[in-house]
Amino acid sequence: MSTRSHVSPCGCHQSTLETHPAEGCLQHLRRVVGHAARFLPVQGPLGVFVHYNTLRSFQHRSFEEAVLEGAALYKAEPYLSEEAYQSDRARGRILDEDIDAVLSREPNAEILPGRLSRRELRRAMLIPGVRRVNGINISWQLEEGGWLDSFRNDLPPSSATALRGDSPQALWHACLASVQPQPAPPPVMPKRPREFVLALHGIDMDALIHPPLIRLTAAYLDQGIAYWPMPHRDKGLLRAARTIMPQAFAIFPDHLSGVRAEFLRQEAAGMDAEAVVLDALEQLGVPLAQWEDFVTEELLALRGWAGMVHMLEQDAALAPHDRVRCSVMEFLALRLTYTVAALKDIAGGTSAWRSTPVPVPRFDPLTHVARVFDVVQLLGISSRELAALENGEVARLVQEILSSHEIERRRLLHLAYERRHERLVLIPLAKHRNMPCVVPSSNRLVAQVLFCIDEREESMRRALEEVDPAIETVGVAGFFGVAINYAGIDDAGGVSLCPVVIDPQHTVREVPVEEHAHLHRRRQDLRRVWGGVARNGFISSRTLVRGWFSTACLGFLSLFPLALRVLTPLAFGRFTKFLNKAFLPEPRTEFAFMQDDAASRDATSGLMRSFTTEEQAECVYQVLGPAGLDKGHARLVVILGHGSTSLNNPYESAYCCQACGGRTGAPNARLFALVANRPAVREALRARGVVIPEDTWFIAGCHDTCNEDIQFFDLDLLPETHCGDLVRVHQALDKARTLNAHERARRFEAAGHSISPESSLRHVQERAEHIGEPRPEYGHCTNAVAFVGRREVTKGLFMDRRAFLASYDATKDPSNEALAQVVRAALPVCYSINLDYYFSAVDNDVYGSGTKLPHNINGLLGVMNGYQGDLRTGLPAQAVEIHEPVRILFVVETTPARLMQVIRADDELNEIVCNQWIRLATMDPDDGHVEVYREGVFEKLAGNEEPLPVASSSQAWYEGKREHLALARIEPRAA
Amino acid sequence: MPLKTLIPLLIATPGALFLALSFLWLLGGGVTERVMARITKVTYLFLLLLVIMIGWRMKAEGLHSVRVMLGDWFTVGHYGYPLPLLIDRLSLPLVGMTVVLAGIVGSFSIRYLHRDPGFYRFFLLLHLFTFGALLIFIAESLDLLIVGWETVAITSVLLVGFFQYRPEPVRNALWVFASYRVADLFLLLAIFLAHHWFDTTSWTGMLSGEWPSCQSQLHGTQGTIVAALLVIAAGGKSSQGPFCGWLPRAMEGPTPSSAVFYGAISIHAGAYLLLRIEPLIHQSWGSRSLVIIIGLATAFLGTLVHRTSADAKTSLAYAAQTQIGLIFAEIGFGWTTFALIHLVSHAMLRTLQFLRTPSMLRDYHRVHSAAGGKLSPTGSQYESLLPSSVQLWLYRLALGRGFYDAIVERWIVAPVQAVARWLAIFEPTAPAKKKL
Repeated sequence: MSTRSHVSPCGCHQSTLETHPAEGCLQHLRRVVGHAARFLPVQGPLGVFVHYNTLRSFQHRSFEEAVLEGAALYKAEPYLSEEAYQSDRARGRILDEDIDAVLSREPNAEILPGRLSRRELRRAMLIPGVRRVNGINISWQLEEGGWLDSFRNDLPPSSATALRGDSPQALWHACLASVQPQPAPPPVMPKRPREFVLALHGIDMDALIHPPLIRLTAAYLDQGIAYWPMPHRDKGLLRAARTIMPQAFAIFPDHLSGVRAEFLRQEAAGMDAEAVVLDALEQLGVPLAQWEDFVTEELLALRGWAGMVHMLEQDAALAPHDRVRCSVMEFLALRLTYTVAALKDIAGGTSAWRSTPVPVPRFDPLTHVARVFDVVQLLGISSRELAALENGEVARLVQEILSSHEIERRRLLHLAYERRHERLVLIPLAKHRNMPCVVPSSNRLVAQVLFCIDEREESMRRALEEVDPAIETVGVAGFFGVAINYAGIDDAGGVSLCPVVIDPQHTVREVPVEEHAHLHRRRQDLRRVWGGVARNGFISSRTLVRGWFSTACLGFLSLFPLALRVLTPLAFGRFTKFLNKAFLPEPRTEFAFMQDDAASRDATSGLMRSFTTEEQAECVYQVLGPAGLDKGHARLVVILGHGSTSLNNPYESAYCCQACGGRTGAPNARLFALVANRPAVREALRARGVVIPEDTWFIAGCHDTCNEDIQFFDLDLLPETHCGDLVRVHQALDKARTLNAHERARRFEAAGHSISPESSLRHVQERAEHIGEPRPEYGHCTNAVAFVGRREVTKGLFMDRRAFLASYDATKDPSNEALAQVVRAALPVCYSINLDYYFSAVDNDVYGSGTKLPHNINGLLGVMNGYQGDLRTGLPAQAVEIHEPVRILFVVETTPARLMQVIRADDELNEIVCNQWIRLATMDPDDGHVEVYREGVFEKLAGNEEPLPVASSSQAWYEGKREHLALARIEPRAA
Repeated sequence: MPLKTLIPLLIATPGALFLALSFLWLLGGGVTERVMARITKVTYLFLLLLVIMIGWRMKAEGLHSVRVMLGDWFTVGHYGYPLPLLIDRLSLPLVGMTVVLAGIVGSFSIRYLHRDPGFYRFFLLLHLFTFGALLIFIAESLDLLIVGWETVAITSVLLVGFFQYRPEPVRNALWVFASYRVADLFLLLAIFLAHHWFDTTSWTGMLSGEWPSCQSQLHGTQGTIVAALLVIAAGGKSSQGPFCGWLPRAMEGPTPSSAVFYGAISIHAGAYLLLRIEPLIHQSWGSRSLVIIIGLATAFLGTLVHRTSADAKTSLAYAAQTQIGLIFAEIGFGWTTFALIHLVSHAMLRTLQFLRTPSMLRDYHRVHSAAGGKLSPTGSQYESLLPSSVQLWLYRLALGRGFYDAIVERWIVAPVQAVARWLAIFEPTAPAKKKL
């Protein structure tokens, strides 16, 4: 018997089952497709934008390995470009000592005994850095660029001395003599038929098959843009396509005529998607062992659409309006059907492609010589010295120079870049911690304001405390511990308001109070009328017959909204709000969350309609406990959720509260306040050690991070005794939002440097109302740090809107329970946001979605460039343009042992931390010393080189500056 | 100022601005975004003021048309290239529309293109476009009109390929360019034949009387041929008839350029030409039925494709194409005043809709929740009257965009390429093509 005894059991395939002999082809295929789909983007429909770690499928690998693997798989950049880092070095953002410190952590080796170590070599290649050279431009550089006229003029003094008396020509010839030219790269076998066809026939198969694939998939997934929905959608993508495409007299594009016969054959044989894929794999001659690579490559070729299909397959409820049955297998089957047909037409057969090597890209043997020539100058190795080296030494030197290739240098520079950021944050933070608090604690606070941990609220909190020192701010995850499914009075259905990893157990409805029920009915009737008119206007302006009438007769009317919206956006926005107020009655509403009616009691399925008092107390406890708010509350506690509104912005949701799943956190805040005001809840809380004074009142509000509006809820429930307090808080918040707008405006070039706080408030409001504004706000663009600890530590510290701030009091948490809660809530959210920004910033074309300007909304699901392209995932260029891509620096005020106990207990946190997807540090709650997590151990932070500047106010510190600013202590008395 | 100065000034302003700015650019200079924003706003306000003054003066003086002769560019033998301008009751609304819509879109773009590396380039092209569009509407002869016609075409192509670092925009810009070039051949041919047969291409020479009650001066078959050629040329500009496939490809550019070109002005230039030569079309049933057939066929195909397009911009592009098809048909039926109203009204609506395409998600969501989560299902209007097999066939036709691309690629582009490859045998140093 030969070794080919393991013929595949299903007989569908000729090759042996090398990998899983026990498994049938079908099971293997399912596994392969499931595995390949994990590499697809995890962005769902764009109406709800949730940040994810872009390389989530590589999370089990360390960050540094994962970015390389991701780069290879997606043909992306792992880090910023070397030029970007070098210009950061030139402006002092990366210091030489950072590079030394990074190199000292890398393994060292002797290269030339007594003369050169690997560390010295790499240092020379990073400071001042190598010149961009390869074999192709070296001859130009030698002849025209003056490389042979003189040595580099930025050589270190010692090298310049060593090379004195030597000539570049001599060195070049010495390099030529001793360095082996670059061998030709081995021929590569094509991974996909496209590479073969492109090399041999000059035809891009993707350009052939993508247009019909995109049109079919887009029409299939469409959520309501197309007036005529695709017929036969209920049969699934593949069968719908097979029914529609082979119609009589249909004309197929060039090379795709075979699709028709293929579809008819499949339909006649009744093949399902799996059978089609198996058949195509057989025709293409892909051996079983390579299925996975092949399928992955094919799916990634149109990854935006494939990813959307995958997301909707996993959770059909993600579809905003029409649920459609999705299957990656069907998408793959469709794709392979087109591929096979095109390949047959172009190449005449389907199996030749695998055995024809693709011609290697152009290379030049001189590349290695040129690189060595550049580096030996930096090292000060003269031509005589080079010639005198033994063969083994030269080989080792060349080997080392080549292994410090560009990606490796970028990795080192990135680590240095992050190290400086770490020191710019941690050293001043520790200094500030050890200085007396800028605001002396008064007897009793006027108010406490609970904000989301969002880094955009950092400036708001600082401004509020600057305006009124008797107000304290607290940071908690923006869903305020109440994970709910919520529907407002104007909403069509419920949505989850909690982090995406949580499934809400309770549903909450906003209902009109009884005496306003008639107003509610009128409101809904009016809205229905408006909705009907708007819908009809939308449709009838585009169709043939109705469009004839409406464009001819009513089109003139659109000049007014057009002109006013563009020319005076703010006034027009106010005008529409005024119209809404004047005509749309606003009923007073309440939350149905503890109604004791029969329906909610007897409900046995679906979400729970009511919260029991214990559950309510638990929600409140989960927020107040970890923040250390167990007693001594102010008379007024404001719960401020946040959201963001902007026009003409498909990414609006990305600016909302990520802890609420990309939506506004206002309902959560409102529910929290309602619950915390209930005497029964307070009674239950007292039993758990949280004592809320009798005269403390909770009130909810919402902060719009785009237009800086602040809105309060349930003011009618406020006791009269607290009206004075509210007025004071309201005034303080009003001033604070103006200051906050001013601080935000410093980043906006359009706002200008000399703008006053009042006009900057108008400026940000105008941004929210302007239909031509691609940057309504900068979102999380500045995120870099997360601090979990007491507010006293960061109070009065200017953190430049770059820090997520979660309140946690380690001194009141002996059992570590609260720490676990805070870290588990905050860390995944912060880390996802941070990495989404990291990857979108380092490669905006692959990981991000490119510039927003040509974006075109497709199927209400996502955006594509132009009229027919892949769905773009990630963040647009306008959202990341001022981002500094660093991994988030997570600082927790606790001891390393306690922190690691929490992290080790949770698999996901453990993975994130151990694989260094975040940078972690602790600050001792007792003495304030900082320890930094490095490769499994905590090291005490040493050094003191970063100062802590002092300014009299935030405004004095940032005035006139547009770039990222260092931490500063804001001390009003310093003036 | 007399009308004889105002009208040339109207055209000269954006032209001079373009020349000055591009000269500055060629010298390696430029202006900041802020200055460019101010220049743009001031220019369009000034142009608007000019249009208002012209309209007011004409009304005050009771003029229905004003002709301005700027003299000859050159004269060769008995032929002169005259530079005549005309403002009448047809061109004034279009000039006003151009100034207003280009101004609004310019103002929108100041924000929209803020910090984009192509900011300067975009505004250069916008000013050049305004010049070209105004010239089309004010030119008094086909000789002069074609200058504006080509200017609009080249700015249009350059803005489709605005994102020149990606291959798709450039490829699609090339497609648009090729469509324009082929259509322009018909315009050129019409001009040659008009000169040859009738010794004139000016409106006064070709038509007598004042719009809308003018009469054709070109009679017989020869007049019909000229008219038919002009109709096809107009179809190229307005994405009608044999040129109906390029419009969605033009959506590669930034949103405001899509709005001002394919929602508002450029796309309607063909309809303007037809309105202008309407008496010419009207004198023979051949050219009349050509306009009507082209218009209705394109409108039918446009609405069919629009119904199945799942993306915001393509859907709007085909909706625009549908209405322009109807405008063509209206002109064919002789309803010129209505067609003019339809044209201007349609341009305003489409501009707003194009500028608002990025808010589709938000708008749809709002309407959806206002309707209580239940939107009336669409797609069961006329389609449902047909038998299901015909429905399916129509859907297939729409999904294939009328098979336009497939037909053009297989039976026009491929043969042309084959001929080109065959011609390469005359090229001694032609690079050896890779053989199978």
